[in-house]
Amino acid sequence: MTMHLRHQVDVSVSRRGAIHRRDFLRGISTAAVAAGTLGWSDLVTLQAGELKKRGKSIILLWMQGGPSPFETFSPKPGHENGGETKAIDTSVAGIQISENFPQTAKVMHEAALIRSMTSKEGSHPRATYLAHTGYLPTANVKYPAFGSNVADQLPRPELDLPSFVRIGNGNRDGSGGGLLGIDFDPFVLNKAGELPTNAKPTTAENRYSRRLDLLGRLEADYAAQGADYEVSEHNKLYRKASKMILSSQMKAFDLEDEPAAVRAAYGDSEFGMGCLLARRLVETGVPSIEVTLNGWDTHFENFPRVRELAGQVDTPLAYLITDLKQRGMLDDTLVVWMGEFGRTPRINPRAGRDHYPKAFNVLLAGGGVRGGQVIGTTDAGGAAVEDRPVTVPDLLQSFCQSLGIDASYENIAPNGRPIKIVDGGSPVSELFG
Amino acid sequence: MPFSRISLAAGFFALALLPVAAAGELDPHSVAQRVDELLAEETYQATADTAELAPRTDDATFLRRVSLDLTGVPPTPEEITAFAFDTTSDKRARAVQRLLAQRQFGENWARYWRDVIMYRRSEDRALLAAPALYQFLTDSFNGQPRWDEIAHRFITATGDVREEGATALIMAQMGGAEDTTAEISRIFMGIQIQCAQCHDHPTDRWKREQFHELTAFFPRLSIRPVRVEGKRRSFAVVPVDRGRVKRPNNPRQGALEHFMPDLDHPEEEGQLMKPVFFVTGQQLDDGLPDSERRETIADWITDRKNRWFAKAYVNRMWSEMVGLGFYEPVDDIGPDRECSAPKTLDYLSDRFAASGYDVKWLFEVIAATDAYGRESRSRMDDDVAPFTAACPQRLRADQLFNALVEVLGISEGDDDDKKARNYRTAFNSPRGQVNKTFGYDPSVRRDEVAGSIPQALFLMNSPQLARAMSGDDRGTSLGRMLDEISDDEALVSELYLRCLAREPRESEMKTCLEHVSNSNERADAFEDILWALVNSTEFLNRN
Repeated sequence: MTMHLRHQVDVSVSRRGAIHRRDFLRGISTAAVAAGTLGWSDLVTLQAGELKKRGKSIILLWMQGGPSPFETFSPKPGHENGGETKAIDTSVAGIQISENFPQTAKVMHEAALIRSMTSKEGSHPRATYLAHTGYLPTANVKYPAFGSNVADQLPRPELDLPSFVRIGNGNRDGSGGGLLGIDFDPFVLNKAGELPTNAKPTTAENRYSRRLDLLGRLEADYAAQGADYEVSEHNKLYRKASKMILSSQMKAFDLEDEPAAVRAAYGDSEFGMGCLLARRLVETGVPSIEVTLNGWDTHFENFPRVRELAGQVDTPLAYLITDLKQRGMLDDTLVVWMGEFGRTPRINPRAGRDHYPKAFNVLLAGGGVRGGQVIGTTDAGGAAVEDRPVTVPDLLQSFCQSLGIDASYENIAPNGRPIKIVDGGSPVSELFG
Repeated sequence: MPFSRISLAAGFFALALLPVAAAGELDPHSVAQRVDELLAEETYQATADTAELAPRTDDATFLRRVSLDLTGVPPTPEEITAFAFDTTSDKRARAVQRLLAQRQFGENWARYWRDVIMYRRSEDRALLAAPALYQFLTDSFNGQPRWDEIAHRFITATGDVREEGATALIMAQMGGAEDTTAEISRIFMGIQIQCAQCHDHPTDRWKREQFHELTAFFPRLSIRPVRVEGKRRSFAVVPVDRGRVKRPNNPRQGALEHFMPDLDHPEEEGQLMKPVFFVTGQQLDDGLPDSERRETIADWITDRKNRWFAKAYVNRMWSEMVGLGFYEPVDDIGPDRECSAPKTLDYLSDRFAASGYDVKWLFEVIAATDAYGRESRSRMDDDVAPFTAACPQRLRADQLFNALVEVLGISEGDDDDKKARNYRTAFNSPRGQVNKTFGYDPSVRRDEVAGSIPQALFLMNSPQLARAMSGDDRGTSLGRMLDEISDDEALVSELYLRCLAREPRESEMKTCLEHVSNSNERADAFEDILWALVNSTEFLNRN
């Protein structure tokens, strides 16, 4: 809550942002803009009761390709399936993870591990879609990504930025706003540290305002010719887009703004910068963020490749949790590390592991999750879930519980069919106990 | 004139099947006239609070509308001028015929149907089939396109998806029998029978068995990976008529017949379904090879006894052209849906069938109706009679890209619709970028298609567009115009003509000239005007 109030003050005192926004609004409203658009502060007041819910956010660290449980958080040293990977102790007595995650081991007391994820989907697109939406793809319903549902369910009227931001280019499952509409599509940023595409006016800002003013006046004429609805929709969109790029909140994308020490703490990798940006976006009020790291499809040379990938993830993952904790944001921010499935227990002749959805693992921290625990077990060889199987719907139900979202809420598909945010499954109650 | 041939074909069927008096009549203008009469009877005159009919639209608006509708490309300033000075009474009909003969006609509708199919793909891998699909459709539409033949090709396709474009519909569903069935029913009949997949349809008459009986025409489809030139992979639609291995965890997968699962015992094989066509009740025995099943259902779907086949296409094309369908959305029609003008649709659909499902004939008819030629108004309220005016339509992404190419005088470069090797490179070309940003599923209601922030940002701030709009560069079309046209008023007119295919109104001219006189640099001022026109609602819509 304090975060939002502080944010609100930020916006109103920022001379640059505020003045430009007013200029812009004056310009475009010369046209016959439809009335009825409330200012952000009005909306904040109206929806004060929702503030608690609106404090919640999710950061999904998406490991595209299907990370091996054996080389990440469910090592099997001593079993032939475990290969060369060693296990190390963590900050929690009795919990060991693979040697590839030494920094994460130090924050294990903040994180929960589910070692008993299980599914039937062994193809990348289908399993990725399932993990993102909770459903399998079909021709007749475009299921929204969970991140889009979050953006819809946790509205932030004071936010000038898009409410669902996807950082990195690995995810190709095609999921997005779906039946919720284009407003809830992820706003894709190819690379952290750069401004979003086309977010910078190509002219000086005063000329940009003059252009918008000219556009507004010409639009008024067209509206009068029988296209008032189209013009008013168009103006709303242009106002929203211009408000965004002229907003002081755009500073969130500028990582140079961050002290060098913090940047260093997140590590120097692109993924690390993505995690840092994710934290800045949460601070700015974005409820739904996904940071992607591609490359986990290790059909050959599994061990060195996973070691290298883990090297990109370990430091940022651990420091993201630490940083959120230090800033008092961890309780309201659910951090999830996962991929679409696991890898085969048997090591193939090319020293690789193939697709294996039957048993895989997920790490969660923050958002009310009780850290320092392991949920579920697999058998000695990691081939089957032995205890406490958790399905994708169970996991998404748990996300809902953490974020205060009603998982049974029904969106209506264009063909009239009600679509629950999560169909079936039940929250993994141990996470929050 | 192609009509003599069509009339002959019509003679065989029309008498027996058509309730309409004007059997055999296929002259586009007579049919268009009858459509307008029926519409008047059914809608404007039948509604108590009739809205005033919008007047006939002016020539410039008509030309931009019909050019974008038929070819996906706005008219050039030269075409607009020539059209304006043409005083003959049949110039609109001749413009339609000219457009139907252009190469861009086939390209435009190929892109439209590619989107219809590909927006419902179950996996991105299916995009591998998009270039061949585009080629197949372009060739079909630029020949003598007959909708029954095109549908037949889609339903019966086999082969490599990078060579046989018609395989794309099946590839888009990765060969899944139930999903393919659902798409064939949706696209070619407008009937969403898959809603009955798991339970009897709640609002329609279809029973769960009927969906699964239709699926029983497609159980032997499969998608097989193909190695091409050693490395590059493709896929092929391959019929599998024997020797499939059943999988232990799904008793129905791999079977040569379709089984309807028992909802209480999904682990069991379920009930063997015979292929039955739900519209006509025609049926086949089980045990037949894939080719016979698919040839047969393709024949039955496209047969004139199945009136939903013609209605679905006519309704869709009417909706694209006039801006509002008889049924909305266009892919959810059927006997239990409300049709805003059933007699009109029946009449036009029957005539379309009588024409031999002649695609170009239907475009000629619709373009010749008064309903098509009216001025447009924002989407109708529910209480206003439909079709009293045309509706503004948001340009599809390809139309928008073509408009940008025309207006800014830029070259498209390689046409990746033909060349894209795979889905990773398909989006990298300029057209691909615009498609990715502005594309939408053409089957959804147009009033549900919303603009997005990335779209606005692209048009406002894209550095590539900014370069193409530069007034200081003699390489751009604006740079050349600034050089050649010294009169400001003439230059404003020229920009309006290029961007919006019309002359500026008096108030607009005044606004623009004021902007020029208030600016320090003439080039900057006209850059601003061009920028404003490209970012205007009117540019993004066809009126």
